[in-house]
Amino acid sequence: MSSSVEGATQVRDTTSLAAALEAVLFTLNRAVTVLELQDILQSPLPDIEAAATRLTEALAGRGLFLQRHQDQLQLVTDPAQADVVRRVLRPEYPARLSPAAYETLAIIAYRQPLTRARIEEIRGVNCEAVLESLEEKGLIEETGRLDAPGTPRLFGTTMRFLQILGLSSLNELPPPPQSGSTSS
Amino acid sequence: MTREITAELERDPVYVVRTPAFDGPIELLLSLAQRAEVDLKAISLASLTDDYLRAIEQAQPPLDRLAAFLVIGARLVQLKAAGLMPEATVGEEEDLQAWEDAIKGRLEEYKRFKELAESLMRRHASGRFTFAGLLEPDVIPQARVQVSLDALASAFRQVLDRLPPPGQVTVEMEHVSLGEKLEELRQMLARQAQLNFTAIFRHARTRLEAVVTFLALLELIRIGEARVAQASAFAEIMVHGQERNKTD
Repeated sequence: MSSSVEGATQVRDTTSLAAALEAVLFTLNRAVTVLELQDILQSPLPDIEAAATRLTEALAGRGLFLQRHQDQLQLVTDPAQADVVRRVLRPEYPARLSPAAYETLAIIAYRQPLTRARIEEIRGVNCEAVLESLEEKGLIEETGRLDAPGTPRLFGTTMRFLQILGLSSLNELPPPPQSGSTSS
Repeated sequence: MTREITAELERDPVYVVRTPAFDGPIELLLSLAQRAEVDLKAISLASLTDDYLRAIEQAQPPLDRLAAFLVIGARLVQLKAAGLMPEATVGEEEDLQAWEDAIKGRLEEYKRFKELAESLMRRHASGRFTFAGLLEPDVIPQARVQVSLDALASAFRQVLDRLPPPGQVTVEMEHVSLGEKLEELRQMLARQAQLNFTAIFRHARTRLEAVVTFLALLELIRIGEARVAQASAFAEIMVHGQERNKTD
């Protein structure tokens, strides 16, 4: 399945690459981009992707969990172990967010990247304060600028967003709303 | 359908507009404006609304009449806004329909997101988080701290222990700025490329001052202007100044 890439001096099978990936993610202990991983593991992107899939399978039923947000990968604890992990960490139970914050997060999660104007169009109210607070909490971030007059900021979710919801990736969110189409 | 309503309302107007540019039922104003037979630019909708608000304070019309005014008023605002825009033209019924559809679509979209927001909230409240390891990704590069962190911490503790114990409680305004301490350390390291760890605290008179000095040292290490090293276990920790390598 892995495609041969010209110039690849080292061909590793997926299982050993998955093991190497696990070791690297454990050591770095942060979100690592697939671009960085290509460099670290000296393997082409499709092989990294295959290794990530293999690692996810290998971790099924284990205490660790491979999390994926856009082009970033991070090794974290399994959401099923949240209680026991919380017991050993200092119990920083984050305060619940406001309904406005969850609404804004939902819109960003499903429609990212998007501008504040678009979010406000959907919610019908000014969202400056709520966006600021979500950004401060590290749940959203600027992912770029829209190529339009004023180059407004584009917002997207973060790895931290997945972490507070215990999701393996954005694909695990409930099915997104169909936009516009009024199929009942 | 809109026409029928308009006809009916004209017998019993929702509101009678009295402005220099137009005098008559607001329904008539709307239908004339829709046919571009009256120039909305000449009518201040703001003062029209103010007059109306004053009028209803006294009369208190039933809810459906208030709603009718709101609909007509909104349509007038839309027409006026469209007139002010150079290109936008607002047709009649079709566009009104499209407008209503757009609003309906938006409300439905919002409703779906509201439901999704609730499912996110439930998920968050369940507390099934994932956690990253405790080890912080290096804030201070290891290469600049050739001392075990325990040794560094205990050396600092010794510095604190040497300071006079807090005797009587004297409340005084003490001002020690990190910026000043940074500058002080920089000057010390400029004069002497290598210093004993304890030497950098020789001016510290209070615990607060020692703490700020220690923070300043950590900051210098972080930004690459200093490094700390210990030649052997239990030896004195040395602080080395180093020029920040700009090309690095």
